[in-house]
Formats: sequence, structure tokens, C-alpha cells
Amino acid sequence: MTISAAPEAPVEVRLASERPLKVAIFHGRDPRSRASAARAALGAGAEIVETVGSDDARSFAELAQALRDAGPNVVLASARSAKDADGIRESLEALRFGCATRQPPPRVIALAEPKLAERIRTAVRPFPFDAFVDAALVIGSLRSLRQRADPEATLRDQLLEDAARSLAESAASDALVVDVSEAMTSCALARAAVRAMGIGLGVAADRVVARAGIDRVRRWLPWPMDTPALLERVFNRARWLGAVPASEVALAIEMALAREAIGLALREASDAGLSIAAMRAAPNVLVTGRAAAFPRAAQTLVVALDGLQPTGIVNLWREPDDGRAERVALVAPVTTRRSATLRLAHAAGREEQRVARGTIVVAPLRGIVEISGAVRGFGDAGALGIVIDVRGRPIALPHRDAERLPALGRWNAALGVFSGPR
Amino acid sequence: MECCARRLLGAALGVGWRYGKWTADHDLPVGASERAAIGERVNAGDVLAAGSALGTAIRVRGAKRLGLEPDDVLRVLRVTIGAELTAGTVVARTGRRFARAVSAPIDGRLLHLGSDGDLYFAPIVGRWVVRGALDGMVTRSDDAAVTVEGTAWCLEGIAAYGPDAIGELSLGVDSPKEDLAPMRLDVRLGGRIMLGGARVSAEAITRAHACGISGLIAGAANASGLRVVYGEDVTARGAPARGDRPTVLCVLGSGTATLPREIFDPFGVLAGSRAAIHTASARLFVFAPPDAVEIPRVAETVALAADYGSVRAFPGACEPAGEATFASEVHAPAVRCAGELFPRTNVRTTLAEA
Repeated sequence: MTISAAPEAPVEVRLASERPLKVAIFHGRDPRSRASAARAALGAGAEIVETVGSDDARSFAELAQALRDAGPNVVLASARSAKDADGIRESLEALRFGCATRQPPPRVIALAEPKLAERIRTAVRPFPFDAFVDAALVIGSLRSLRQRADPEATLRDQLLEDAARSLAESAASDALVVDVSEAMTSCALARAAVRAMGIGLGVAADRVVARAGIDRVRRWLPWPMDTPALLERVFNRARWLGAVPASEVALAIEMALAREAIGLALREASDAGLSIAAMRAAPNVLVTGRAAAFPRAAQTLVVALDGLQPTGIVNLWREPDDGRAERVALVAPVTTRRSATLRLAHAAGREEQRVARGTIVVAPLRGIVEISGAVRGFGDAGALGIVIDVRGRPIALPHRDAERLPALGRWNAALGVFSGPR
Repeated sequence: MECCARRLLGAALGVGWRYGKWTADHDLPVGASERAAIGERVNAGDVLAAGSALGTAIRVRGAKRLGLEPDDVLRVLRVTIGAELTAGTVVARTGRRFARAVSAPIDGRLLHLGSDGDLYFAPIVGRWVVRGALDGMVTRSDDAAVTVEGTAWCLEGIAAYGPDAIGELSLGVDSPKEDLAPMRLDVRLGGRIMLGGARVSAEAITRAHACGISGLIAGAANASGLRVVYGEDVTARGAPARGDRPTVLCVLGSGTATLPREIFDPFGVLAGSRAAIHTASARLFVFAPPDAVEIPRVAETVALAADYGSVRAFPGACEPAGEATFASEVHAPAVRCAGELFPRTNVRTTLAEA
């Protein structure tokens, strides 16, 4: 895999194989304890398979069965008070009952003050136990567990975080890397990251549908397709690792899945208490993975726009796994009630763009462009130019096909997403 | 030449008939009370484990009431953990003149001894049994799972839904292109595992279940139908389940998938044999002699349709066609199957090739 912050400096690295690390979160009554554990799990690229609160309504046997079915590799116990720790001890008894014979046994990691961790420790036997006060140390521990099979290899999420940091450094402003691949979706801000395992546009496509709902995926298709037909296509894609979309329909489905995968990753980030406003406001966005390998740059652009829904001016890049980084466009989201005027100053002169609400307008400029008027900022226009997105935030898609399909068709036509009308 | 051309295709799909040694893992629910022993010979359909469904557990002070350290409670228990007890049964007792005792608070089972020496009791609200899906020998048996190892004919599918099924193998269609018509299913076929051709619908699945048919096998199942039957959260990976639910084995994909002759034809020979669907591994086991079927040495090719809507089988060999640009504008290595171009990664061979 090659990921770079700039087209001139690609870096070749050997990636670790992506075997999911399943994590169950045990938390106390304080919602902050759940959020801090979820942040650590998502930051480390672990898949959260079960969440058990100390006020969980399930009976002892039901909880033990749920934990046995989930089969976690790690239990992350997050406590902020003695009461939390006592509640977690009860849940750990269900773990001992349900998973006592599991090989290898689940590792219990406490995210708590040393006194509380000691309280939890006594209920952990015979499982291995670690305790950390700092969430960053938990992330390190979880990552080392993911890397255990091949410690020399690099984890994809570490690479994405490095890319986000170096892009932020070179641009002297915040940067976000959005990575959508076959079975995982990551949003790595230079200072915080969330990695939603088991969500992607390939073998995990069926899980995107299960979690987001088939209608949320279907709403992005620019052509009519009924729900059963879409579901069958998603299921077939999910069973076919590395499949290539040979038709525009298949490509549109993968693009729809990528949008929802990004949306789900952001929702998980929000649930874990991470600021998605910061991600949406990042002035530099690099798209990587399968979402960056769509044939047209406009396809990557529209997926990033719809999935991320940026709120500020964005320098959008893309870098496929086997390609070089490419500047896609300078995106200017505009929120207005009726219409707005933007003034674009560039090397060849100045021009004014009047844009109406609910549209996307492309100004095919090149080089550095300064934008003023309804929004202010500057950046390199990239391969597509200046993309003025006047759809508002959040993007409101009409419910009825008869209204939604023409709207999607207009937006796609403005950006040149597909080769022509069907 | 054909061999070299085939190497250029995608990976083996992993489906196809094989006779050999297999293992079948059977995960157990919590509350197992009896299990087959390691080394015991079992047949498909035999009870491997039995246990009880448990109600809300009651926690009783153990170590504190007995005046012991938590680690010492096990030493003084008068019943084994997991034992079925009636209310008032003395579970543990210490002391002679000034005795301290713990007794069962309810009719039920002593479930668990906690790390702090507390005892968990739960009432029994139901019973369950787990039956084997393979003739062979038990190689693992513990509270979590029983594993059986044995030899059989096996067809590996891509996903299976519902509980394991055992029955006589029967043909529900005459050709691999046919869909299984619900009207062909009736109560006379009860207890059988039926082959359903290219596609089974939700109606066929529910009717088969209502008629007491053990399970259905098909090239593909209607994905929306699977959601209707198994719930909204069902995925392409399958949904092994317990209880009274239909069993479906999808061999190739979702939607419609005509079974290659290499897979369909042996069903005609094996029909009437005892068979089992093991849903956790998405496998059909057929208990017939090793020479019952002759499998062609050259595998067929299956390809994912350009719009992902179906999986198609090609009887002939596919030829490499260099790099091609497809309708989606994706530029990728291609192969030509029966005059049609496919991306190489969307074309796979059945297992005999591998």
C-alpha cells in the first residue's frame, strides 16, 4: 500500500493482515465511561461486538449467552467510580460463566484508576488482565494485540493517522483522511481517529445495509431499483471479495455503500463522544482505499461530499492503494435560503458565480483560487476545479423516487459522475 | 493450455463436491447438563448435548455465609456446579457444632461459583438439545462446544440460515435452471432435505417449513425473502440459529444462481441418501459410499454478473483477455467466458480445479 501526504512523496509499507479484534465494552452508569471505552476501541480499530452497562436489563444467563455468542477477544472495562466497578464485576461473572472454556481466553483490560482496577481484577480470574489509566495506552495495547501475528507489519490505521498528520503539517491546517475499503471504514483526523470495523463497500457491504438500513443505501442510487433487487446485489457483492464493478449499476451501488459507510463511521464517532464537527470542518480531506479507486475523480468527490458532508472549504485529495495522490477539487459548501454569490479570484482573473439553493455548481478553474462572498477561503482547484455545493447541511434528499432521482441526476450531471443519462 | 489459462482466473470459489474427512463444530447454549464424551461415535441426528434454558438467576452469599475465603468454597460444596436441585437442598456446609450452611433458594440449577465465593442459582424454564450433523467421532466436548470428526460427501455452500437439518436427500427440481415452486412442496416430503435449483423464494422456505421439510438447498436464495423469514438483520454471511426455524443452504449466491452441472448432477445419484446441513459451516454432508459419485476432474467456472445481480456458471473454459475497460470505465484484467468479458476478480473456479 502507498499512502502519501503529497504526490511527490509516496511511502511503500507492508500492511498487517486485517483480522478483526473483537471487543466487548463493560461500562458503568456514567455515560462517559462508555464513551471513553468506545473511543479507545474505535481509535484502535477494534470491532465492538457487545456493550454491557452495569444497569443491563438482561438476566445473568442471557448476558452469558450473548457474550458466548459474541466471542470477544478483549473485554474493555471502563469504570469511573466504585459503583461502576461493582457493576462491572457482576458483568464479569457472566463473562466467566459464558466464556470460561473459550480458547484463547478473552483478555480483560480495565480503563480505570488503579484503585478501581484492583476492584475489577479480583473478578477477572482466570482471564488475563491489564489495567490502564490513560485511553491512549489502551489504544496502544489493543493495537499491539492486533499486530501480534506480525509485529513488523504496519496497521492500516496507523498509516492513515500518519497520512493525516503529515497532510496537516504540510498544509499547516487540520486534515482528515477518509478510508473506505472492502471491510472497514476509517475517518482519521490529525488528532483523533475512528475506525469502524466491519463496515465497507465490499465484503462488509451487507453489514452496512444491516446497520444503516437498505433504504438509506438505496436513496443514493441515481436510477430506479427496487429494494429486493438492491439487497440481492449487496449480498452477492459481500460474498465476493475484491469484486470489480463492471457496470455503472454496480459502481453506483458501491458508491452508495461507501457514502453510508462514511456516515456510519461518523455516527459511531459521535456516539463515542468524538467531535464530528471537527472532521466535517477539516480544510484538507484525503480519500483513500476503494473509495479513492473509482474510475472518475468526480465519483470519489461525490462520495466524500455526501458521506462526510463537509461544512467548510475543503481541499479534496484522493489516493488509491496502488496509485499516487491526486488533488481532486476545492469544495465550497454554501448554506443559503435562496441563492448566493461567490467571487472567485484566480491567476487568469476574477469571476462571479451566482448559485441557487439545492444545486451543485462546478467552476472549471485551475491553480490557486481565492473564494469570497457567501464563504471565504482559498486553495488549489485540483483536477475538477471549484465545486460549489449549495445543497445545505445536512443534505436533504427527497423521499419520493420521482423527486429524488431527478435531483441526484442533476447533481451527478453537474459533476460528471457518470458517462451520461441512462 | 487450459490449465495455464485457468490459473489466470480468480481464486477457487470453494464450492463443489468432495469426499473426505470433515469436522463439524456445534456451539452449545449456556446451561449444558450432558454431553457426548470425547471418543464417542455418533451419527448425524444423534443428541450431542442437552441442557436447560435458564430463567433469572439468584445470587446467594456463599463464602461470607460459610465463613470461608472465596477460593475455599469449591472444597466444601456438596453438589457439583451445574447440578439440578430442589429448593432447600444443602449446597455447602461448614462447622460441626455451630454449622453454617448454604441451601438452594429455588428449584433449579446451581449455575456458577463467583469469584467472590457467591453462588448463582437459576430456575429451569425449558430444555434444549443439540444434534450432530456428521457421522463420526467426538473430538472435543466441553461446555462451549462439541466437535465431531467424520468422513462424508460434502458440498460447501457460501451461506446457510437456520438450525442444522438432518434428513433424506431429495430433488425438488428437474434441472439446475429451475426455481423451486412452492406448490411442489407438501407434507409427504416431511423430514427430507430438498434441492431447490437456481432460486428459492420466501414462500418456498416458509411452505417447506410448514410441511415439515428439514431443509432446502439452492444455488441462491431471495435475499428479501431471507429477511422476511430470518429478520431484518440477516446478512450474506448466513445466520445459524437454534429452535424451530427453516433451514436454507445457498450454494453460490443471492438472487438467482444456476448450479453448475458439476454440482447439480451428483444430486441425482446421491438422492435418497441420508444427509445433513451444518449451518455454522454452510456445508451439506451426504452419507454415501466414497465411490457413489464420480466428480469431473475439471471444475466449472462461475462469474459474478456485471451488475452483481446473479452468479452465473459457464460450462466451458474461460480465456484470459488481457486488460479491458468495462462499462463502468473500470480498467482491469479480464477473462472471456462464452464470448462475454468479465473482470478477472469476478470469475472463479469451483473446487475441483483447486
